Amino acid sequence: MQKGKDNMPIPALEKEANIDHINSVVSLSRKADSANREKKTDCKCAIIKSENFSFYYGSKVGVKDITMEIYPCSVTAIIGPSGCGKSTFLRSINRINDLIPHTHVEGKLLVNGHNVYDKNTNLVNLRQQVGMVFQKPNPFPKSMFENVAYGPKLQGVKSRSKLQQIVENSLKAAALWEEVKDDLKKSALALSGGQQQRLCIARALATKPSIILMDEPCSALDPIATGKIEDLIDKLQNDYTIVIVTHNMQQAARVSERTAFFCLGEMIEYDSTVKIFRNPGKKQTEDYVTGRFG
Amino acid sequence: MRHIIRRITDKAFTILTGTSVVLLTSVLLIVLGPMVWRGAKAVIFKDTVEFRKMQLDLYNRGNPASLKAENAETESFRKTVYEIVDDFKHGIDTEELIDRTKQIYRQLGKELRYKEVTDEDYQRIRSLARDIRDRLQAAFESNDKKVIKENINYILQYRLDKDLADTAAAEFFTLAEDFSQSIENIDLNKSRQYAGSLQQIEEIIFRLLGPKPSDPLPALTMERYGATRWDMAQKLLDELLWSEQWVQKEPRQPLIKIRISRAEEFAGTKLEPLFGYVENNLDKMLKPESRFYWQYFIDDSTPGHYFGGVGPEILGTLLLTLLAMLFVFPLGVISAAYLVECASDNLAVRIIRMCINTLAGVPSIVFGLFGLAFFVLFFIPLFGGPSKPCVLAASLTLAVLTLPVMIRASEEAIRSVPQTYKEASLGLGASRFSTFVKVTLPAALPGILTGLILSLSRVAGETAPILFTGAVALGPLPKSLFDPTRTLSYGSYDIAVGDRLAMLVPHNQYGMVVTLVLLILCLNAIAIVLRARVSRKLRG
Repeated sequence: MQKGKDNMPIPALEKEANIDHINSVVSLSRKADSANREKKTDCKCAIIKSENFSFYYGSKVGVKDITMEIYPCSVTAIIGPSGCGKSTFLRSINRINDLIPHTHVEGKLLVNGHNVYDKNTNLVNLRQQVGMVFQKPNPFPKSMFENVAYGPKLQGVKSRSKLQQIVENSLKAAALWEEVKDDLKKSALALSGGQQQRLCIARALATKPSIILMDEPCSALDPIATGKIEDLIDKLQNDYTIVIVTHNMQQAARVSERTAFFCLGEMIEYDSTVKIFRNPGKKQTEDYVTGRFG
Repeated sequence: MRHIIRRITDKAFTILTGTSVVLLTSVLLIVLGPMVWRGAKAVIFKDTVEFRKMQLDLYNRGNPASLKAENAETESFRKTVYEIVDDFKHGIDTEELIDRTKQIYRQLGKELRYKEVTDEDYQRIRSLARDIRDRLQAAFESNDKKVIKENINYILQYRLDKDLADTAAAEFFTLAEDFSQSIENIDLNKSRQYAGSLQQIEEIIFRLLGPKPSDPLPALTMERYGATRWDMAQKLLDELLWSEQWVQKEPRQPLIKIRISRAEEFAGTKLEPLFGYVENNLDKMLKPESRFYWQYFIDDSTPGHYFGGVGPEILGTLLLTLLAMLFVFPLGVISAAYLVECASDNLAVRIIRMCINTLAGVPSIVFGLFGLAFFVLFFIPLFGGPSKPCVLAASLTLAVLTLPVMIRASEEAIRSVPQTYKEASLGLGASRFSTFVKVTLPAALPGILTGLILSLSRVAGETAPILFTGAVALGPLPKSLFDPTRTLSYGSYDIAVGDRLAMLVPHNQYGMVVTLVLLILCLNAIAIVLRARVSRKLRG
């Protein structure tokens, strides 16, 4: 799998370098000023760009004509009423939608300049670069260690000590290390919901992606666990391009820099979060964020 | 009102379900209870000295010295039985006596020629001997005591004849005297009937006590020992004491079975004391002891299933079952994986699915014939194997038989693995194959094991598929996969249909069936423990 055709010009990070890289994430404190980050020039994260992208379930429209650019090393939130296609769009980015039969796409969806729906796309490489966190915590029914080491093992990391290092760093990055470091051998299903979700994030981080897609990561969690996940997202945005789908508008306002509002399969508005929530350009957006609609 | 109805329906539902559970349990007990009870008798029973003799001879078990002492002790009690019978037989078995007279007559002829007597003497003595012989035969064959007396008296007057003294003919007079004595107390009209009954009695005694110590050892192993089990001995005793007859009480009515005491039948004869003696001394003649014959499960059986256990059958069943599982597990899982993960929903796949569902309901004998036609006659010879029923063909047939069950169960199990597991794995960059092997399969394993348990039980108990493909009723253990084997299922079938043995050794038949049930139970228990461990690991 690893040796397959690599058509993705995504900059591969040095494995050793990435461990330090994750370490640095942990040590970083929350930065108050988000403007500073936007100006970062050495950001290695990928850019996601969609050009007239449409996705169809059979004849039913999933999303239609989406044209947007997601900025690297920042958090982009996608909000919208149920069934508006925000999850569909998100799940198209790493083509996990392929599991659903009878679908087709139109337009382009580019990750670092490469169309992911190209015939020659190496799905394994794509998905290693684009990590995903799902709505419900879905750890494998294996031990915590096995869960986090799953991705690196697939990438061919065999050495036990290296795996341990990666697991530790990933768990630290996901702010779970302190809670579970003594019982990594225990089943992941024994953890609480919030811990499971952070474990899933750690699992996604372990494959060293540059993009993390989060599909309503907090919808199954209580406020305290949600707070922890949000803190985590805040820390991670320095080094990853994060796209988060959420129903919770406060959450979108809290964690994201830019927000896209979807409705009925179309993108209504895409702008900085402050603008969307304070001064939306369209009536529909205003109705939605003020709670008059949706 | 509605509230009341709801309560009543709820109560009725509870009662209904409870009753059905109780009913099922009791049916299970009623069906299984007697079988287990009888089957247990194959292992736990009261044995006799004959059993210990058999164990020493055939399996080299037990203490020869103590057995010898026991033997001597029982022999002393048995002697009386043989004496009584022999004594009675003299007066009753006229055919044997007539044969004897003929022998004596012939011997006399030889003797006379040897002595080189003159022709005249020869003729005279021969005619006299013939006369005596004929009269003796007439006496033996007669039912009239007066005729017998006359004839015997006539014969005895020649007792002091010079010509006949010191020759073989002297035995004529002993026979005549013995006979006149032995018939004194017998109703001669019944002597024919006595002869028949006596033959039965001798046979029963033979089965009860084994061959007489003086007789040569019978060729058949099963005839070398008397009743090896106390329950068998009791049954034979009952046969000895009571004869059964079908009589017509009234004309145009069906025959009725009645029991007649043999002691009454033989009342007043020399045989009469036999019955009381055997009844009172049976335990001394056989020395019953309680025994836990656990070796039943490892012993080979000797002639048919008359003695010994079911060791080879257990091994054969295990071999067939495990081999079949070895074939069916990967095949089933791979097929199920294809149906769930790879096959798209088109006509061909739908036809395959329908075929699998249909195959699950096909009678097992059809699979047996298929196995014969395909594996035995075509497939194995194709690869240079012998074209005969063998373990390999039988286990392959069993695997084919149970494949639909396995595929269905595995399919359900794989399908019920949460989609989120698959998504998570694919999202981490796993290929479809590694997702299946590393995530889906382990998560589906408990369900797949359930399928395996179901197939296991079915395979272990099947008779029809192995009937023509690899089972034998008797024979050595298979040395390779190309030899046929004995199995519990086929063994109990064989005893049930083909043999008088089932009547002689019912405990063995039940024992075999119960062993099969126990074996399946054990295999299931192992599989269930395995499944529990797997799912505990999954649950964490």
